[in-house]
Amino acid sequence: MSGTKPGRAVRLGAVALLAASLAACGGTGEMGAAGTFTPRTPNTLTIATAQIPDPGFWTGTAGHPTGGFEYGLGRALAARFGLAHISVIEVPFAKIVSGDLGGADLALSDITVTEQREQHVDFSTEYLAAPPAILVRPGTHVADVDGAQELQWAVEKGTTLQSALEESIKPEAAPLILPHQREALLALRVGRAQAVMLDLPVALAYARESPKTYAVAAQLPSEDVLAAALPKGSENVEAVDSAMRAFKADGTIERLGRTWLHTDLAEGRAEQIPALRINE
Amino acid sequence: MAADLHMPIASLVDISSPKGAPWEFLVVFATLLIGPLVVQRARVPGIIGLLLGGYVIGPHGLGLIGSGNSTLPDLGQLGLLYLMFVAGVELDLNLLRRYRRSTVLFGLMTFSFPMVAGTIVGLALGWEVEAAILLGALLSSHTLLAYPTVRDAGQASDPSVATVVGSTVLSDTLALVVLAGVAGSAGGNRSAIEIAVQLIVGLSVLIGFSLLVLPALAAWAFRLLGAQRSVRYVVAITAFLSAATVAELFGIEGIVGAFFAGLALNRLVPNEGQLMDRIGFFGGAVFIPVFLVSVGLILNPAVMVQGATLKLAAYFILACLGGKALAATLSARLLGFSRPQAGLLFALSSAQAAATLAATVIGFQLGLFDSSVVNAVLVLILVSVLVSTIVATRASARLTSAEHGPRPLGTRVVVGMRDPAHARGALLIAVRIARADGGVVYPVLVLPDTAPVASKATRERFEKVVAAAGVDGLPSTIVDGSLQHGAIHAGAVAEATLVLVAEHEPSDEEATTGTASPEPAHGPVALVSGSVERLGIVRLLGDLGTEHDRETAEEIATRVAGGAAARIDQDDERFSDHLDPQDVTFASGEAAEKLAALPDSERGIVITMLDESAPRGGHTAAASEPAPG
Repeated sequence: MSGTKPGRAVRLGAVALLAASLAACGGTGEMGAAGTFTPRTPNTLTIATAQIPDPGFWTGTAGHPTGGFEYGLGRALAARFGLAHISVIEVPFAKIVSGDLGGADLALSDITVTEQREQHVDFSTEYLAAPPAILVRPGTHVADVDGAQELQWAVEKGTTLQSALEESIKPEAAPLILPHQREALLALRVGRAQAVMLDLPVALAYARESPKTYAVAAQLPSEDVLAAALPKGSENVEAVDSAMRAFKADGTIERLGRTWLHTDLAEGRAEQIPALRINE
Repeated sequence: MAADLHMPIASLVDISSPKGAPWEFLVVFATLLIGPLVVQRARVPGIIGLLLGGYVIGPHGLGLIGSGNSTLPDLGQLGLLYLMFVAGVELDLNLLRRYRRSTVLFGLMTFSFPMVAGTIVGLALGWEVEAAILLGALLSSHTLLAYPTVRDAGQASDPSVATVVGSTVLSDTLALVVLAGVAGSAGGNRSAIEIAVQLIVGLSVLIGFSLLVLPALAAWAFRLLGAQRSVRYVVAITAFLSAATVAELFGIEGIVGAFFAGLALNRLVPNEGQLMDRIGFFGGAVFIPVFLVSVGLILNPAVMVQGATLKLAAYFILACLGGKALAATLSARLLGFSRPQAGLLFALSSAQAAATLAATVIGFQLGLFDSSVVNAVLVLILVSVLVSTIVATRASARLTSAEHGPRPLGTRVVVGMRDPAHARGALLIAVRIARADGGVVYPVLVLPDTAPVASKATRERFEKVVAAAGVDGLPSTIVDGSLQHGAIHAGAVAEATLVLVAEHEPSDEEATTGTASPEPAHGPVALVSGSVERLGIVRLLGDLGTEHDRETAEEIATRVAGGAAARIDQDDERFSDHLDPQDVTFASGEAAEKLAALPDSERGIVITMLDESAPRGGHTAAASEPAPG
């Protein structure tokens, strides 16, 4: 060891470690490794959604929600962020995707991520894959796109589902473009429409709830996903992102899917539902 | 019609904006091509270019790969497993064995100091315990990015370099075990005991599968299907994916399984072999760069330049490099290393890349880390790589007393043969010798100058015999009138550490004319007579010639036998009664002549060291020519 000065190097290393520890101690105590969530109302997670009840996703009322996939997700978020209460408010879907969450911390409302919507809201990491699906009356079969084109369609206005219908199916008869999802479903029930385009998890939930009224005939190949929407520029995005990744990793999403959507949506696909081959 | 001809082409041709899988793959592969090239011009390591390239094409950059894209992240996941497999398979386990004391000492220090420092920093920041421990784990591993600098300087065999390389096995394994524990406990509601039991059972099964089942299955598959090079590669891929799957069955991250699979196949996949070359090629060209690009998608300069992120990065750098420096300096003092050697310990152990990125990505996927932590780790990686490179260059230049120790006997074993059908025994022996030292066997078909072109059938038989023996080196063919001379010549070209000459029936030409040149061999030369299907008992018969020959024969015998070989007194008249047709006997002089007098079916394999001071041809005749008939 002649000619070496290990003592100085040891001291330098030790000082570096000490400095890191002390600096961290004196640093930002609020700096969470997975992001920090600051609610608008202390100790309360305020969630916006477009419609309650929404089979599979929300049950009960806005004042008294009792269950559903997205309600369960909201509860899991509140628990992760250490918030004791949840407040749910109803906000029209169009307002949510235009960036007005009605003062909520975030929105959980079957919202498909699109570039256009990303201009108005910040999306979290996705929590469900949601390819478009064809909801019909039991007994109606949709074998291929040609068959689908012959049907009378109904779809909610201004949604990604309307785009999917117009671009992928291209119905022969003009579809009924209705302001709300519930009106599209009513059209199907009363016979004004033969098929409704819905997100797959939503369609599965309706079919499960009313098997004599609805059936899921097919799904369309798509990379559409559902995510939580947060006000543009929200500082809570990182925390919600981390939470969604954690819920996927620890099985929370899978468990909620099995409980409320009655299907294994771990990969976002319901394998038992045939996929319609779309001509590009 | 004339009007149609003058219509703009754009109105006639329907051109859509690029999209779909071909476009995405084009973007990714163009990034793999351009990213490293751009940064290397500024003398920045290519890894940084790939990370930056990922950012450029990702959602925070040009948005060519959107946030909803699943193809690149899926490919990146495969690349991550591949990266950890390569990290395990290319480690030199012999160094761990040879420098056991220093590697264990330094391995424990270079793991534990940053581990403790990282955990303290995490806890001081108010993080959850799991996140703090994971931070410690990701700081405690290291990647030998500066190793090529040191190796190219001829210092690979310096004890300090060997110590760091060997310690990588230990520190990375410990870091991954910690990662497995953290991942197993994150997010669940299980008690500490349940987590510990799950981890212990899972790791036990994984280690059993990786270290016992996997090598046996892979060796079997290599023997059975090994003649096809692509099949050997697919076997390796299947091996690490199966280990990753087994790991995930027990809730352990797949990268831990992939790393263990690499360690398990380490001996079967020598670093200089064809299979390692292929694994390295595809890994370096596609899989690992794709992983790095996929990590770059998370990179967000807007987050990276935030004060909070830079502050985090500063803590990480202090904890990591401080811990590594402390470990290097204390170890150097305890092991009696010089200052430049201490510098090399630090330089080689400070670079953070593979395991660090892997642990960070896992932490991100588990929701333990947000993107600011990921971006801070990327800053740490950048800084550590630069520091490591600079310190390695300086310390290497100052290390004037580079020790070029002798290469282990099995580093490069050349097996020369005339007839592949009778060379299996020599090949099996060569494989055992090479495997003991993590080396490679190079089979050489020596064609006589009277028939200098091998028939297709001969070439196919050659490749088949070579593959069936588990040989991984590139087979080659040379023309030489003398088998011995040809083998020694090939050995000299390959800088062989050992040459085995596979003789079945030494030709009259070699035995009588002594045409072999006095060309010096790089390593010892042994004549291997006879052939067997499998190797039996290994014996040393008699005095084995000169002291040097005896020591070399004992060294070879130890590797072939997997331990000390049995000794037989040359005067034992009944030694031939103990012989089995599969046995391997080292002999020389009179003892070799006695053996040669035995019929082929009783003799087994006889190995005779070639006295390097004697003329080649004459020695052949004297030492190893079996009696006719």
